[in-house]
Amino acid sequence: MTTDHHDSRHRFEESLEEVRTGILELGGLVLENVRRMGEALLENRLDLARIVVGADEEIDARYARLEFRVFEIMARQQPVAGDLRFLVASTRILYEIERSGDLAVNGAKGLIRREGYTMPPTIHSLVARLARGSTDLFAQGLEALRGLDPTAAAKIDHADDAVDSVVGELYQMIARNSENMGFDLAIELSRIGRYLERIGDHAVNIAEHVTFVVTGSFPGDGDAATRDE
Amino acid sequence: MEGPVSVARSLGGRAHHNEKPPGVPVFELDDLSVEYGSFRAVDGIDLSIAANEITAFIGPSGCGKTTVLRCLNRMNDLIPSARVLGAVRYHGVDLYGPRIDPVEVRRRMGMVFQKPNPFPKSIYENVAFGPRVTGHQGDLDDLVEHSLRRAALWDEVKDKLRDSAYALSGGQQQRLCIARAIATNPDVVLMDEPCSALDPIATLRIEELMIDLKKEYTIIIVTHNMQQAARVSDRTAFFTVDVKETGDRTGRLVEFDDTGVIFTKPSQKATEDYITGRFG
Repeated sequence: MTTDHHDSRHRFEESLEEVRTGILELGGLVLENVRRMGEALLENRLDLARIVVGADEEIDARYARLEFRVFEIMARQQPVAGDLRFLVASTRILYEIERSGDLAVNGAKGLIRREGYTMPPTIHSLVARLARGSTDLFAQGLEALRGLDPTAAAKIDHADDAVDSVVGELYQMIARNSENMGFDLAIELSRIGRYLERIGDHAVNIAEHVTFVVTGSFPGDGDAATRDE
Repeated sequence: MEGPVSVARSLGGRAHHNEKPPGVPVFELDDLSVEYGSFRAVDGIDLSIAANEITAFIGPSGCGKTTVLRCLNRMNDLIPSARVLGAVRYHGVDLYGPRIDPVEVRRRMGMVFQKPNPFPKSIYENVAFGPRVTGHQGDLDDLVEHSLRRAALWDEVKDKLRDSAYALSGGQQQRLCIARAIATNPDVVLMDEPCSALDPIATLRIEELMIDLKKEYTIIIVTHNMQQAARVSDRTAFFTVDVKETGDRTGRLVEFDDTGVIFTKPSQKATEDYITGRFG
């Protein structure tokens, strides 16, 4: 083992850490946008909605940079085992984060397009629960990545079930009030429900990818990672 | 006669070796240790090597992977102080049993070394030498052509068979050594770092050849090249070396599994550290 070897391996490990930090920072930006989107919806804050839309450019640029960096590390270091799992999972986690960012932007754009929503109080409180639930889920997904916690997926999956049941309630309530609200708003609010639900799903996926990085298998999948060898 | 006959009986002869039921191990190593004088070089290896697969031995220098390879064709017999403990069974026959003829064992196991080592003879004579020595009865020209074709060298040398083997490139010389190794109709091909002296293109040709040859032979390769083990082998054995207070270095087997598992999800941290380059 030469000094050169140690230097290059050290740089390799640094580059892996740089990717992980970069993903967490990107996740932080998206989390902030998801939180802003919820607040904008509930308080009819068009100014906040515009910030959400504006912040997406930086998110997309960082996403593209990180994805390229992962490709480059794969090409130049030919990683295997845990390093390979981490880098493959990184491209997937980046995708989950970037998609969540897009969903936040979609929600914000809807609000801007209609210049605010007038929601019946029951629906408002369901959207509030949903926004809080999805934001919490997304934060938990990032936390799983920060701590490389292979057990996080099970906990998040449980929390995601709760979010899904709120979405169910929301859809029922929208259907019941659709004539009073007008169909346009009913459709718009259904979409909002869908966006928030999907953000929760992406958070669950992030936690599952973390389980794959740490254990080599996806949760509940036995030996999926190597089964089709 | 007793030794070779008993092996041949157990094996049913070379012509039948493809009729073996799948999954029957060619080699079973049972608590194999190797000592040189009072120094134990390799300790307690248990390993089972399947037919018609490529098995790679990987691990840091001094981990005993070449020593274990050389136990398989009794090459360690040539070192006076070497002592082999435990059992090496070849198709169920104890290779170190009292009636086994080491020469017959080596005839059944072709070997290819790190540096191409053709004899200082013509291309033709390099391939014909082994069969002549072992009393080949059929048409020697046919056998030489067949062996060179199997080694993917025929088209490049068919018009210059009487030229010196030294006129060939390094990659061609190594393929000639493979042709020489298979000319005696072996069952197993042992390869000790067969590509370490070759450029990437020549390496690729040898690797393609190995994958082609495993249909007929059981191949065991020692390699320092992780990517090569990942590319060509079906199963990978990872060896490591324990350094004792006395400074003695003893090799042992850490993990043996499907190559896909070793390179995506090794179960031992030492394996992961080695294949990801964090070892030592």
